[in-house]
Amino acid sequence: MSAVVLAQHVTKWYGPRRAVTDVSFAIEPGEIVGLLGPNGSGKSTIFRMLTGYLVPTSGRIEVAGHDVVADSLAVRRAISYVPEDAPLYEHMRVGEFLHFMAGLKGLRGAAARAAVAAAAERLDLTRVMMLSTGKLSRGFRQRVSIAQALLGDPKVLVLDEPTSGLDPHQVIAVRDLIQSLAERHTVLIASHILPEIEKIASRVMILLDGTLLTVDALKEPAGDLVMQLAVAGSEEAVRRAVTAVAGVRRIAADPDGSSRYLVEAERRPSIAAELVAALVAAGIAVSELTERRRTLEDVFLELTRGPARVAA
Amino acid sequence: MRSFAVLLLKEETALFSSPIAYVLMTVFLLIMGYSFTLTLFLSHQPSMVHVFFQMFVLFMLTSPLITMRLLAEERKLRTLEVLLTAPVSEIAIVLSKYVASMSLIVIMLALSGCYAAALAWFGDPDFGPIYSGYLGLLLFGSALVGTGLLASALTANQVIAALISLSVFLLLWIIDNFGWLLPSPADTLVVNLSLSVHFRPFAVGSIYLSDVGFFLSVTLLTLLLTARALARR
Repeated sequence: MSAVVLAQHVTKWYGPRRAVTDVSFAIEPGEIVGLLGPNGSGKSTIFRMLTGYLVPTSGRIEVAGHDVVADSLAVRRAISYVPEDAPLYEHMRVGEFLHFMAGLKGLRGAAARAAVAAAAERLDLTRVMMLSTGKLSRGFRQRVSIAQALLGDPKVLVLDEPTSGLDPHQVIAVRDLIQSLAERHTVLIASHILPEIEKIASRVMILLDGTLLTVDALKEPAGDLVMQLAVAGSEEAVRRAVTAVAGVRRIAADPDGSSRYLVEAERRPSIAAELVAALVAAGIAVSELTERRRTLEDVFLELTRGPARVAA
Repeated sequence: MRSFAVLLLKEETALFSSPIAYVLMTVFLLIMGYSFTLTLFLSHQPSMVHVFFQMFVLFMLTSPLITMRLLAEERKLRTLEVLLTAPVSEIAIVLSKYVASMSLIVIMLALSGCYAAALAWFGDPDFGPIYSGYLGLLLFGSALVGTGLLASALTANQVIAALISLSVFLLLWIIDNFGWLLPSPADTLVVNLSLSVHFRPFAVGSIYLSDVGFFLSVTLLTLLLTARALARR
């Protein structure tokens, strides 16, 4: 399957400051791809280049087979953008704004009315259509911004921090909506909130200081094994028995409870059995030994700070 | 073309739903009415030459108020991001803002037509200078709007956009006074940048292609530079 979004060695300079450095990635149709990175890491700059708002200093970006610089209008027909903080024309009513955006996207007459009605229905905006956008709550503003992006049935939807500032109910609603959008659109979503991205995206790219660290964080090769250990015994004896096992790197008290520890060790099949054997041999009863699931946060920390370390 | 119509409708709505258009028209008519009456009673001549020169100055002072928000406000509120990621060309965006601003200029000129009508009703004016004066003001207003639009594209601050426009207009208004002091051929070059040098013949009833070309060139150049400023982000 050919990529619907393709970025090759993209770099962006703002005057003397380099905001994005040699970024390359490809996105297949139907994917929900998360772009994760701290504030100021270059997520919005990448999105603005994808949508034709900014021109890359070097490198090439293609959307739906069109070059964003040479064929910008064709790209803008294929892609829709929900900017961070949902900027809207404050003098317009919601319905007026959606009709204006439908007009810009080439929809006219009955087709425009039907598209606006469908988007308003989908985003639950029908009761605020006559309200001025300047009087809307943050959640409604976000929904209006997403609704305008759905007009014209674009191939690619680009959403910059779509759940930022929303209350938990609104976050869940927007998350469900984004997941449902993948049936018809390719979705690219930026966030600095790790659990949010983890829940929505089928693939996560991590960006730090303008550099793309991975194009699929969840498939990154696992580093050291981290295990949760629950035992009955003195801390000194437990530490002595555990550190005696070959391959164990660190042991630390688990902040989740007493007599519980986190053990970081070399990843090999027999390590758990060796640990249990060592503890039993030292007269310590083992009630639990489980591998701690590797979260996106672990991967993020590994990639951004080097190998994960258990707090001592 | 259809996108242009959509953009133009939005610009016209924004312009005429804000109080600034009505305040400008009111102030313009009050000042010009006072000036017209005073000039008529003092000179007893059915002429609008003085009124045209007053309009020339008033346009320079007020047009930055029309143009300052056009792109600076969009940049500040980040709606420019919405506009420039929609499938519309930068030229269509710039032209829609230009045409909307010109419509206010045209309305102001049309309203001032009541003075010409008054002269025609009570006297027997020479309509040649009146027609040429209005043509000159229209072309002059077009150059001012183009320059103001370019200034608005360069900053997110409306006040700075207005100050840039005003500074350029005031400089080009009086630049011929300095131009005459320069050695040839710099004097000709600088004097020909003057707005008043190119407007004066229109006000007194002469239409030169060079003056028409000057105002049209300034308009075209500034509109193209504005579109270029939007495209090169």
